Amino acid sequence: MFAKGDDGGGPGVPQPPTGAARMGSSEDDKGLAAKALAGDRNAFGVLVERYAAQARRVARAVLGDPDDADDAAQDGFLSALVKLAQYDTRRPFGPWLMRIVANAATDRRRRRNVRQAEPLDPALVGGGPRPDTVVIRNELNARLRTALSELPERRRTAVVLFDVEGYSHAEIAGILGIPEGTVRSEVFHARRRLRTLLADWKEQAR
Amino acid sequence: MKDSQAFDHRPDPELGAALRAALEPKDDHQVFAARVMAQYERALDRATVPTLDVLASWFRPGIAAAAAALLAGFLIGRAVLTPAPASIDAAMAPLEGPGLAALVTAQDPPDASVVYASLVDQR
Repeated sequence: MFAKGDDGGGPGVPQPPTGAARMGSSEDDKGLAAKALAGDRNAFGVLVERYAAQARRVARAVLGDPDDADDAAQDGFLSALVKLAQYDTRRPFGPWLMRIVANAATDRRRRRNVRQAEPLDPALVGGGPRPDTVVIRNELNARLRTALSELPERRRTAVVLFDVEGYSHAEIAGILGIPEGTVRSEVFHARRRLRTLLADWKEQAR
Repeated sequence: MKDSQAFDHRPDPELGAALRAALEPKDDHQVFAARVMAQYERALDRATVPTLDVLASWFRPGIAAAAAALLAGFLIGRAVLTPAPASIDAAMAPLEGPGLAALVTAQDPPDASVVYASLVDQR
């Protein structure tokens, strides 16, 4: 269903997926998944490239640490590879994959004593010379990551899946294995916290 | 960005963009994809080998259990089906009685119950 094959964006180039892009890539995903299941290595490679950005972001939302997140995202892709026979091609591929990635991240967080989210650079938090635009952006990013890390895991994963990755509440409910109403509630609470932080930051940046 | 939008069913582009930037890895996604694909064969091997390992682990105990079951079945079957051995005297006793001549010279085959009764009487 959606996916970020359309994700051309690097940092600072957010591109929420459009409905058309999501539907189009969904059909491609199913064909690629079928080929990958038949042993087509290149088809699986295309799926990995298409979903790499999304999987890494979702894993990072769960784990905080980027290295742990990449390990978890890799675990998720490889787990999906060996479970491809279980993929129901009548359903979109993205949510199925993201469920595996999110579970891999959660498993990794449980197994390891995951390091805390990167602490804020004291030089960025207050005082000092007037930072340039890049530094301001880095400060916001750090604050958002810290704020995310302070949210319950399910809440931060839900808001990232909804506002960053563009999944519907119903899809997120399937990914996280919780009722749709709970997803709405989690997104609501996460947004309230993050929007407050974002508004404060905009106020300070003036 | 208003709080009233918090329960909006639509994604928030501004918040989404900010979160995306905050979560975006610094390196190229293709590097990550290459790293995943480098594990492709190993992942498939890992998915296959454990199954064989499980079967192999079952093999020896399975053979041993089957052999034990066959042996037990053989011993039980033999004990049930084999009659208890009789002494040579008991086996030869009917041959020494007066009924032997009658048995050999009779026109008709003897009634089994009569033969059995005579054998029992001789004991």
